[in-house]
Order: sequence, then C-alpha cells, then structure tokens
Amino acid sequence: MTSHEDRDSGRELRRIVRINEEIKTVVKTAYRINLMAMNAIFLAKRAGQSALGFGVLSNELRRFATDLEQQMIALGQATAGSVVTVTAMVKEAHIVSVMERAHAQCDGAGREIIDRFLRRRLATTLSDRLDKVAALNRNLAMMIESTASLVEMGGVLARSAKIEAAYGGGFSQSLKQVSSDFEGTIGEIRKSLDSLSKFQRREFAA
Amino acid sequence: MKTIRVIYEDGAHKWHAIVRDPNRPDYLIDTNEYLVVAGDDAVLIDPGGTEVFPAVFSALSTQFDPRKISKLFASHQDPDIISSLSLWTEFNPDIKCYVSWLWSSFVPHFGGTKETFVEIPDTGMDIVVGGQRLQAIPAHYLHSSGNFHLFDPKAKVLFSGDVGAALLPPGEDGMFVENFDRHIRHAEAFHRRWMGSERAKRDWCSRVSQLDIEMLCPQHGAIYRGADVKRFIDWFAHLEVGILKG
Repeated sequence: MTSHEDRDSGRELRRIVRINEEIKTVVKTAYRINLMAMNAIFLAKRAGQSALGFGVLSNELRRFATDLEQQMIALGQATAGSVVTVTAMVKEAHIVSVMERAHAQCDGAGREIIDRFLRRRLATTLSDRLDKVAALNRNLAMMIESTASLVEMGGVLARSAKIEAAYGGGFSQSLKQVSSDFEGTIGEIRKSLDSLSKFQRREFAA
Repeated sequence: MKTIRVIYEDGAHKWHAIVRDPNRPDYLIDTNEYLVVAGDDAVLIDPGGTEVFPAVFSALSTQFDPRKISKLFASHQDPDIISSLSLWTEFNPDIKCYVSWLWSSFVPHFGGTKETFVEIPDTGMDIVVGGQRLQAIPAHYLHSSGNFHLFDPKAKVLFSGDVGAALLPPGEDGMFVENFDRHIRHAEAFHRRWMGSERAKRDWCSRVSQLDIEMLCPQHGAIYRGADVKRFIDWFAHLEVGILKG
C-alpha cells in the first residue's frame, strides 16, 4: 500500500459515510410515506364505496413504505459493516505509510527488516482487505438494485392511485392531492437512490 | 534520521540515547528515546510517537536488532511517549509494555493486546532486562498522575521522563548539558507549568536524592551529568511549580 492507497482508503471511508447519510434521507422519506398512506386509508374509508380501489392502493402503499424502511435498515447495517472493514484499511494504510518512511531512512539490517515487513504486508493484508471491500461493494450494489425495483413498484402504485382518485366522487379532489403527494415523495426517494447508487459505484482506488 | 549514541557501556550492558532529528517538522515536540541493552535483550524507554517512529527505528536498527526488543517502558500515557506502540508490536507481537496501572486501559487505544501490558503498581517495581535489574521509580503527578522513571543502579543512570526536560532553541541543543545556568533557563517555564504538585515534587526530590546517579536523562532536551545532576535536583526542589505563569 502506498501513500496513494493511504489517501484512497480515506476516500473510501468518506464514500461510506456519504452512503450512510443518503440512507438516512431515504429512511426519513419512507417514514413520511407510511404516515401519508395511513391518512389516505382514512380518507378512502370516509369516501366509502366510491373510493374502494383507492383504499386498496393506499394499503399497498403502506406495505410498500414498511418494506422500504426494512430494506433501508438492512442497507444501513451493511454500510455499518463496511465502516468496520474500511476503518481497518485506513489504519493499515497508515501503518504501511509510516513503515515506508522508515524504509526510506534506513540502511543495512533495518532496511531489510522493513523490506520483509512491507512485502509480507502488501501480499497478504492489503489483498485480503481489497477483496473484502469488493465483496461489500457487490453486496451494497445488489441491495440498492433491489431497493430500486421496490421503488419502481411504489411509483406504479402511486400512479394507479392517481387514476383511482378520479373515481372518488366528492372526495376526488382530496384523493388526487394525496396521490400526487405520493408520487412526489416517491420521486424524492428515487432521487436519493440515484445518489446512493452513484456513491456506491465510485469504486475504491478508482 | 536521529542520532544514536552510547552514553554508558560496560561489556554487553549499554545505554543508548536516540536524539535530535534534523528533519523533524517544527510542529512536533522533540523527544529523546533511550535503549538499554543487556546482552541479547533490550528495553526501549519512552519509544515516542507514531510520527517519529521512522527516525527512531532507523537510528536504533544501526545498533541493535529491533526485533529483539522485548520490553517497552512508558513513563506515562502521552502520545509523544507511546503512540508508536502498534508499530513496535508489528516487529515483536510478544513485546511487553510496562506502564502505570492507571493507564493500562488507556494506552491500549494506541495498540497492543491484553497480553502486551504489564501494570506497574504505584510503589514501582523491578524490571529485569537480560539479567540487569532496573527500577521503576514513582514520579506521580510529575507531570502525569500515573508516572514512573527508570533507574539503572549499576549504570547509575536515571531516566527522568519530563523531569529535567528543556525546550532547547537551535544552536543550544547539544546532547549533554554543558553550562547548567545557561541550560536551565530553557527548563524553567516547562517545569513551572507541567509539574502540577509541590508535594509530589518534594517527594521525588527526596526519593532520588538517595540514589547514586551519574546521569539524569530526560525525555526532552539535554542529559545532565556528574555534578549537574545534584544541581538540577536542588534547583527543582526550590522551584515553585503548578503555576500558570513563570
């Protein structure tokens, strides 16, 4: 590991922190959708027979919000695991960079000792850590992808709710407003997921 | 790279002082490290911070195989004393770090495992290095609340940690004190501020006055020899400490 890699592992840690912040945003939005869906269910009940379809979709949207929240919690846990690995990598990079400085100052026996240390370290620890980070990255990518599919489904539900709102009789206007809010909020989630996906794709040592 | 010099030698029993790095960045305080070798065994005293590790390691390895250092002695818990711990354990995972019991759960934040640490009780203890018996002498509150110095009765050398330290300007930073009166001006403000307890100071002065010391080796600054050792102890005994301004 060189001083470049030292900087790269620091960048990797910052990347994980950004991912974590983005996850928190999605979790907050998912919680908001959950409340919105509950309100929509009450509204559909008040609208009665004319909003039966809307009621079914509101229930689905509430389930979607709960699933999304669970998914984001799992993603948060995976990210916390990455922090442990990447922190170890940062520490490792620091040790190696100090040893490289010692190597530059040493002659004779001292230089040979550091040489052996660096060779052993670079051959084992670094590649192990890089493998671990790559595996974590793959796992994060898969989780983000499956969350994106879930959000697409949420988008479909929100659009269907908008159509159903038109059949809501006297409540049509209120139902339309609620379904537009759904659609807007899902749009926000999609945007956050895009950022999440972007940070995730920034591979270590790119 | 730092300079390493033998300051005491009797056969295979040696004290090395590792001092002055011309390439040290000026935002890092200068430190002295000491290596006591007895045959094939060695203790490194106040091994220094992570940042000075390359300079210490490179100087030390010209004289002794660093993998054979079996013990580290940390006078207290500060980063300039022992933050390089995790780097030394890389070369000898079985290395033992002797430190006050007070800091034995704090210093592991710098590295090591449970097995790395040997707790020194408040009253001190003997530390045997290659058959030579060294004594951890209590120096609590000077400046740290759990603080020890290391005395070698055979060599008559006392490692005195921050006691005796001086912040020397360039040009006056020789390894030994040559002119006590001139030197001590660079030690005064440091001792007044860092040494927090009059009572602890008096206890220490009385304790070390009973030792037969030929060299007093601080962690910063220059080494006191011969008559300057007693001169320093007397000066310290009369200095008012634990105050903010000199």
